[in-house]
Order: sequence, then C-alpha cells, then structure tokens
Amino acid sequence: MKKKNTIADLLFNNRFWKSVFRHDYPDNDLSRSEAMTSNLFLHIQSVKVHTNTIRPGYTLGLGLISFYLFIILTITGVLLMFYYIPSIERAYNDMKDLEFAVSYGIILRNLHRWGAHGMVAFVFFHMCRVFYTGGYKQPREFNWGIGIVLLILTLFLSLTGYLLPWDQLAFWAITIVANLIGTSPPESILGASLRYIVVGGREVGQNALIRFYVMHVIVLPLVAAVLIGVHFWRIRKDGGISRPAEE
Amino acid sequence: MDKKPEVVIFPKNPSKTYGLMELIRTRSFQIEKGPDNTVTSWPHLLFREMILFMFVFIVLMIISILFNAPLEEQANPSNTPNPAKSPWYFLGLQEMLSWAHPFWGGIFAPTVVTIILILAPYFDRSQKGVGVWFAPERKIANLLFTILVVLAVGLIVIGEFFRGPNWQLFWPWNMPSPH
Ligand code: HEM
Repeated sequence: MKKKNTIADLLFNNRFWKSVFRHDYPDNDLSRSEAMTSNLFLHIQSVKVHTNTIRPGYTLGLGLISFYLFIILTITGVLLMFYYIPSIERAYNDMKDLEFAVSYGIILRNLHRWGAHGMVAFVFFHMCRVFYTGGYKQPREFNWGIGIVLLILTLFLSLTGYLLPWDQLAFWAITIVANLIGTSPPESILGASLRYIVVGGREVGQNALIRFYVMHVIVLPLVAAVLIGVHFWRIRKDGGISRPAEE
Repeated sequence: MDKKPEVVIFPKNPSKTYGLMELIRTRSFQIEKGPDNTVTSWPHLLFREMILFMFVFIVLMIISILFNAPLEEQANPSNTPNPAKSPWYFLGLQEMLSWAHPFWGGIFAPTVVTIILILAPYFDRSQKGVGVWFAPERKIANLLFTILVVLAVGLIVIGEFFRGPNWQLFWPWNMPSPH
C-alpha cells in the first residue's frame, strides 16, 4: 500500500496495525474479505451477506440485541461477583452496600437487573420475528429448536438470579416456584424429591441460595454461551438469514 | 467425487459472435459473475452491528441511571406477603396455577407448548412465504402463533396487574396496597 501521509494512514497503515490484523485496512474487496476470514471473532460470519440480511426492517436486530444484552450481563455479572457473597447472612447487606457504599455500584446492579428483564423480553420478541417471517422452516428447523432451548435457558438464568438479593421479593418468588416444582406427579415421589433437589432441603434457605448461585454464575451461562455459539454457526451453515425466494 | 457442472451465468447464443457484458463500477474483478444482491460484510454488516451495540448500551445505561432495581426488606420466612408473586415472566404460569391442580397449568401446559413449538417446523413444511413478514400464504400458522402469544402475554398481564390479596381479581386502580 502506498503511504499517503493522512491521519488514517498513520493509524492504519503501519506495522503495528498489520501485526494485529494481518491485513491492510479493509478498503477494497480483498482486504475486506480478509477482515472477516482472518479474524477469529468475525469468521463466524461470511465475507458477503445478502442485502436482505442488513435490512433493519427484516430482523429488527432482535437476535443481535438479545446477544448484546447477554454480553453486557456477563460483564456486569462478573463485576457484581466481586461484591456479592452468596450467604444468607451477607447477601442482603451486600446489595445494600452496592447501593450505598460501592462507587457506581447501584448503576452496576441496575444494568444487570434491567438488562436481564430486557433479555427475556427481546429473546421472546426475536422468537416472534422468526416465526412471523417463516425463518424456522427448512433448513433452519434445528436452529429454531436450539432457539427454544435458549429461551428456556434465558428464563432459568433470570429466575436463578432473582433469588440472589435475598429480599422478600426474591425469597417468596422462589418459594412459589419451588412449590410449583413440587407438584410434578406423582407428588409424593417425584415432586417432593425434585423440590428437594432444587432447594437443597425442605425450605428455601442457605442451600437453595448456593445452588441457585452456582447455576446462575457458572452452569447456565456456560451452557447458554456454547449454545449461542452453535446458534450462530448454524445461521451461517443454513445459508445466512432467511430471505424471500429469488426470481 | 463428482465434478460440479460449471455454471454458465450468461449463456452465449451460438449464432451470435458477441457475448453479453456490462461495465460496472466496483472495486474488484467481476468477470463471469452474475448479479447476486450481496454486499461485503465489512463494512456494511459490521458497521450496522457496532452501531446497534452502542445504541443498546446507551439506552440500557440511561434506564439504569433513571430507575433503581427494586430491593425490599430482607427475606423473612415468617412474614408471607399477600399476594406473593413470581417474576413477571412466570406470572402466566402462576395465573394458571390458580385454575386447576397446579400440575396442569404449571408443568403440563408449558411442556406441551414447548414440544409443539420445537416440532412445528417439521410439520409446517411449505416453503411459501419464507422471508416475508406476515406472508398471506402463512395465514393459518401466523394465526395459531398469534393466539399463543396473546394467551401468554394476556395471562402475564392478568397475573401482574389484576391479581391482589388471596389471588383475587381486582381492577388495577382498585388494587389494595400490599399488607
Ligand atoms: C439467547 C437467545 C438468542 C440469541 C442471542 C439469538 C441470536 C440470534 C441472532 C443474532 C440471529 C441473527 C438474526 C437476527 O438478529 O434476528 C438469530 C437468528 C435466528 N434465531 Fe436466534 N437467538 C436467540 C434465541 C432464539 C430463539 C428463542 C429462537 C426461536 C425459538 C431462535 C431462532 C432463531 C432462528 C430460526 C434464526 C434464523 C432466522 C432466519 O434465518 O430468519 N433464536 N438468532
């Protein structure tokens, strides 16, 4: 590439840039395709996409918004873990500390809480978009199924997080859900033992808190992250986002 | 392995001595390529994705600055709120719990709906109307799905706004304050 001594050249046309990205600044079709194929994070997307894919009125960006909320939740969630101890003696006070003692702690908590509500809503909206555009049909049947599992995972991620503040809202909401699990028939055998496994005892207490915590911060996010990876990979393998048949 | 037959994009008319060609403005070779309605992901898709991320983050930040997440009194097993409600996304289930034996509304109904949804694409196999919002060819499928959505959202709305102490029905504006 010829040096032109512009600011853009100074930023993009140097050895450091090249050492990181392994190609020139993407301003022609060759380097633009390299921008996608030589980047670990981008190569899950194809070099070229159909114009229908980038039409905002088609996907409404709903799947992507779900994904972004998941990312924001992961980051704010890790930060919250620095301040939160899953013990029934401390959990509630840690929430108070986040609000009154930790700098910007309340913003952190709000981002996580509203982001979680948002994710439940947007995953649902995304499912509606896929249905109303017929995006679940062959060859995307399996990805639709993965999507359903992701929706359920999202609900359980939200639910397990709901107990962690250990306030009245949390305690009684989880008690209701635990009782619901207890009604799986036959109640005295399956229901009772399922409830016992989920709560870790007869009543919602310390055992329930640590179980919900471990599910919330490790097990469910890990499974969700892997499945989101599969979901994206399948979008590409299924030929990109659905679109009207061409003439 | 079979060799793929070569796709001829602009077939030549054997009685003509000339072929079809056109001059177009582009940055790379377009020989032997037909029009394909694609654009490079960089920058067309990637820039849109980045802008959407910034938008999502800014909106969430504004909401988080304006509204605080709820935090009630510390959990107290001996003080049962009336009514005790689950998070909004499970309120539809909780609403159904009050109708019959909890198993039917709470476990049976959601399981059946999940199975139907997962299997739907294997039964609804026509390719007509794919890629179009509310395609007229898909009226029945869309109608059935809409019924499901209205039920799911409706039950949540009832559970959230119309259920008061002892899970009785109240108008939202007549709702007795808790405890
Ligand atoms: C954690 C939850 C989810 C994430 C992060 C996610 C992400 C995405 C993204 C980014 C796309 C690309 C198109 C778009 O943005 O709309 C997509 C497409 C798709 N999603 Fe999801 N999704 C999730 C849940 C679901 C659910 C609940 C379903 C359905 C039950 C689903 C089914 C599909 C299908 C079938 C496609 C391909 C659609 C087409 O080609 O038109 N996904 N998903």
